[in-house]
Amino acid sequence: MSELGLDLAIAGLVLVTLATRSFFLVIGHRVKLPLSVQQGLRYAPVCALVALVVPQLVLGGPAMHLTVANPRVGAALVAGALMLWRRDMLTAMSGGMAVFIALRLIA
Amino acid sequence: MSTLQKILNHRGLRVLFGPPGDLALARSSALGQGLLDFAPAMIATGAWALVTAVATVKIGIGLAHALAMSALVYAGSAQLAALPLIAAGAPVWLILVTASIVNLRFVIFSAGLLPYFRDLGLGKRLLLGYLTSDLGYLLAVRRWGDAAPGPQDRTSRTWYFLGLALGNWLAWQSMSVLGIVLADRVPDRWGLDFVGILALITIVVPSITDMPSVAGALVAACVAIVAQALPLKLAVLVAVVAGVAAAIVIENARARTGAGA
Repeated sequence: MSELGLDLAIAGLVLVTLATRSFFLVIGHRVKLPLSVQQGLRYAPVCALVALVVPQLVLGGPAMHLTVANPRVGAALVAGALMLWRRDMLTAMSGGMAVFIALRLIA
Repeated sequence: MSTLQKILNHRGLRVLFGPPGDLALARSSALGQGLLDFAPAMIATGAWALVTAVATVKIGIGLAHALAMSALVYAGSAQLAALPLIAAGAPVWLILVTASIVNLRFVIFSAGLLPYFRDLGLGKRLLLGYLTSDLGYLLAVRRWGDAAPGPQDRTSRTWYFLGLALGNWLAWQSMSVLGIVLADRVPDRWGLDFVGILALITIVVPSITDMPSVAGALVAACVAIVAQALPLKLAVLVAVVAGVAAAIVIENARARTGAGA
């Protein structure tokens, strides 16, 4: 890609960030959402993060791989369970990482 | 005059928080609380910034373009989607359309944030919008809880959100620069992307606390997997819409039967 093309692409991407993230903050005054939808939107970030993470766990390889023997799935389940149990990020992450390394050595 | 108020009297901070007084105190403490609450999430943002920066350098755009992209575009998932297109020399419009679609979840977030920030001036709304991140919005919602969104507590909410945003911004920018400088020395087998994934999991799990959020997360996960077949990276958007819809349905059902009361 040419230098000018790259400049244009980057400038365009900055505008895309700004336009999508401030979309309803800028034009939303004309839109009146029902209260239940407005309240329901607080679940949006959880859904978005789950939707970003889960496919990377189960579709990591060439084919879908849903068993616990998939190092990513096993490690993620352990990290999630540890977080529920101990409520401590460092414990959960080190536990998950340990399982990830162990399962990769076995596989 | 308390120590904090003396600090707030510093010229640089007067510009940021306004003249010392109760308002400046409220603003600065809300900003500080936001920064503090975001601190654990900096691991996740930092890991993703590093992964994104390394990937950006490895497609062979120069140092200046890589720095400009990470510093200004400020959107990990959109950048990762744009990189292969840039590497392949795709037309600029296609790169922008793809990035827009990856970013559509933020359009939904902006609708969720509008009730809190609708009274602010245009410039401030643009700034808060630009600085919105998945993690920042998640943590803001967790603190604001179930209370009906509205203009109450506007000062503390705005500055708390800004504090969260600042934490995300600092983690992203510092680790981006580090990633760009060290790109050639970071081997793929470190599994840095997996560190980022684990960090995200530990941040999301405490937000899945009731039936609507469990339903939303389950539906979003299933739809995201099935929707991978959709073109143009539409999967995340479809998953968010489906997940939020499921959460609303469960919430309404519980409200009707009184279980949610």
